[in-house]
Amino acid sequence: MLDTGVRQFRMAMGMVWGRRLSPRNIGLLVNDVIATIAEFGEPGEEAQEVLGGPLGSAEDRLEWANRGVNRTARRLAAKSPFYARRFAAVAADPAKLDVAGLRAIPVTTKQDLIEASADFRCSDVAPCLVTRTTGTTGRPAEVWLSRYEMELWPALGALTSVLRGELKPGDVMQVNVSSRATASTHLAATSCRLAGAMCRLLGILPPDESLDSLTQGGATLLLTVPSYLAELVHAARRRGLGPGDFRLRRVTVGGEVLSPHLAEAACQTLGVPLIEDPYSMTEVIPVTGRTCSHRHLHHDVNIGLTERLDLRTGEPAEAGALATLVITPYFPYRDCAPVFRFDTRDVVRCLPDGPLGCELAGIPATSQILGKADHLLHLGDGVVVTPRQLVDAIEALPAQPWPARYRAMADDGQLRLVLPAVAIAGIGEAAARRHLAEALGGLDVDLAIVDDDQARTLRPTRSDLRETTFASEPVLVGA
Amino acid sequence: MPATTEPISLLQQTLTEFGVLVVGVTLVISGALLYFRRVRMERPPIGTFNGRDIVILLLFISVLPFLYGYLPYWIITCLLIVTFSSALYIGYHQVLGRGWTWLGIGLLIGLNYWTSHHLMGTTAGWQLWWAELTILVGLGAISVSNLYVQGGMRLQLVAWLALGLAVYDIVFATLLPLTDQLVAGYLAHPLDPLLGMRFGIDNYGVGLGDLLVYSLFLIACYKAYGAKAARIAYGLILVMGAFVTAFIPFLGNFVDTQLDLLIPSQALFGPAAFGCYLWMKRRWGPERTMAQYLASADAAPAAPAAVPARLAPGPAPEPASEPASV
Repeated sequence: MLDTGVRQFRMAMGMVWGRRLSPRNIGLLVNDVIATIAEFGEPGEEAQEVLGGPLGSAEDRLEWANRGVNRTARRLAAKSPFYARRFAAVAADPAKLDVAGLRAIPVTTKQDLIEASADFRCSDVAPCLVTRTTGTTGRPAEVWLSRYEMELWPALGALTSVLRGELKPGDVMQVNVSSRATASTHLAATSCRLAGAMCRLLGILPPDESLDSLTQGGATLLLTVPSYLAELVHAARRRGLGPGDFRLRRVTVGGEVLSPHLAEAACQTLGVPLIEDPYSMTEVIPVTGRTCSHRHLHHDVNIGLTERLDLRTGEPAEAGALATLVITPYFPYRDCAPVFRFDTRDVVRCLPDGPLGCELAGIPATSQILGKADHLLHLGDGVVVTPRQLVDAIEALPAQPWPARYRAMADDGQLRLVLPAVAIAGIGEAAARRHLAEALGGLDVDLAIVDDDQARTLRPTRSDLRETTFASEPVLVGA
Repeated sequence: MPATTEPISLLQQTLTEFGVLVVGVTLVISGALLYFRRVRMERPPIGTFNGRDIVILLLFISVLPFLYGYLPYWIITCLLIVTFSSALYIGYHQVLGRGWTWLGIGLLIGLNYWTSHHLMGTTAGWQLWWAELTILVGLGAISVSNLYVQGGMRLQLVAWLALGLAVYDIVFATLLPLTDQLVAGYLAHPLDPLLGMRFGIDNYGVGLGDLLVYSLFLIACYKAYGAKAARIAYGLILVMGAFVTAFIPFLGNFVDTQLDLLIPSQALFGPAAFGCYLWMKRRWGPERTMAQYLASADAAPAAPAAVPARLAPGPAPEPASEPASV
């Protein structure tokens, strides 16, 4: 107990003073949490404060953010060639930079990261691993990680997970994300190791193989992407599998929009109470967001700053407006190739001012991610259709066409939607049009139907990053 | 005119000491068990009492006699005020509320300080001082023992602590005879960590450290294996901690350099407690965790903590193990 107190103190001091944290110390704290849960059944009250939050008041959060921004900016000005140039170009004094002064610094785009990847690397840190983004939005960006980061993030992740009961000794986590998502898979595997859980890294395999592993391997946790979850649900239903065939207690997805209909179907089939849908992005690791029961997305305030910038003006967005998330991970949580004011282009809607009324009400929130900014459809007169609206509407069709495959465009103020034939199976085009119009708030939908073999070309999903196995693919014979 | 009191025989001393031990020890360990069953203490968000804590505790206890020996009394008194205040506040603020607890702590410590300086010339004065000190020490032992066990200290660790204190008692009663100097030197000073009473010209007492170990052992047995184990623990404590401790002067010379009878009672109790733990483990298997205990029928509905824990309280400093007889 005494040594636990010392470890907590060390971690707290590191967070307060902004010095590098000891991953080993945090790993030992994970052991302490596990021992605490083994003895008492759960951590003590206010265990979440060990993680540094939630910061109670807006003033506290602003003070914390000012210190984090200033500390990060000073380091980047001295160590990061890209940001040294950027700050100099706008004559910004990093020593005086705070949240109020951030607007003077241009946002960092993914294009910056792609074109000048090497310049993001800080001169005082040895890179250890490069990870590539695996999104479906275009060219991948590379993010360099240091050994410190590779040890720190899983340790923080494991500590958070065991404190919240999300990860326990004896758990078996099955990971069905692309094997090229090295940051994600490394985090999962190492967090499991620290928490005394097992980890099965499968990748995006043919769904039946993953289902075999889920049912026979005793997985209790599943980490995947919504589109692959959809394929698993389809495969499970086809095979007649139900809740009794799985030992799952948690399913977590990320990286894509998860529709309520798919989530509900997955819960019924896999036998879990809910599908967790947190927010994370390779470029801004380890800053994350959590979805509450009211489907708000609550943004981490302890290890990074999340700004909501109006899509049109680039200024802080008003309540009710659409905004892009611009994220700055603080030092010491990123040290190798940090980003500063990274424009994720992930769009959210700002919530109305006032109390949130959810279990995470103390943490700032927005709507869930509505899609990428470049995928918004502007129909005129201020009408905007988001990818989330489209996915929700299409995945609610009676044919259950999961994952939603569509192509959408604005055509002279009208929404033009292309769907594969399977999406409207059983109800016909007219009924589908009515369904979609109703789901999209009365919008007039110009619907076009294409053959099913074109479905994948309409909208790529992460489940398309399919990995082959000798078990599922014909084996070449001979030379 | 005060009555003249003659020295009494060893048998009379022994019987009186036995009575003091039985009453004092029984009251304190029963209070500790009652508290354990009725009150749920706040606990830190993360952390459970472990083997490293035992090592640290033993090291601290080992250093304590030297501190007592070389530090000025006023510093020792200040340390004891901090120790007792912390122990009593942690144990009783959620039962009495913050205001009443601080008031009670102030009255107990203040009265003890005053009686130490103004009422020690008469037997009645001594008895008032002892009575008031007994309340203070007893409440402290109840609080700290519960802090440890409710903080996750398992019976296994209590047994090892008792064994460690047995070695400590032997070393500091024989090889490095500091204990008798401490007891004799600090007697009648404020917050002397003893529970006892004066009869005639003799003082009879038991150290806070002994009471703490007895309380720990009893409630850890109860937590680990239930009422059946607690009954065995009661018996063992009263036999080794009261009967054998009181009557062993008939078997050996325990008179110290001050001509006081000084019994290293942990040297007797520690091995017995450790053996008892091994027997219980063999007979009943693994001990229950706190969560299992709370889920069992043995756990009475407890008064919840009134105030959520904000800081992770570390184990309170444990006063030195005191001899059974002074």
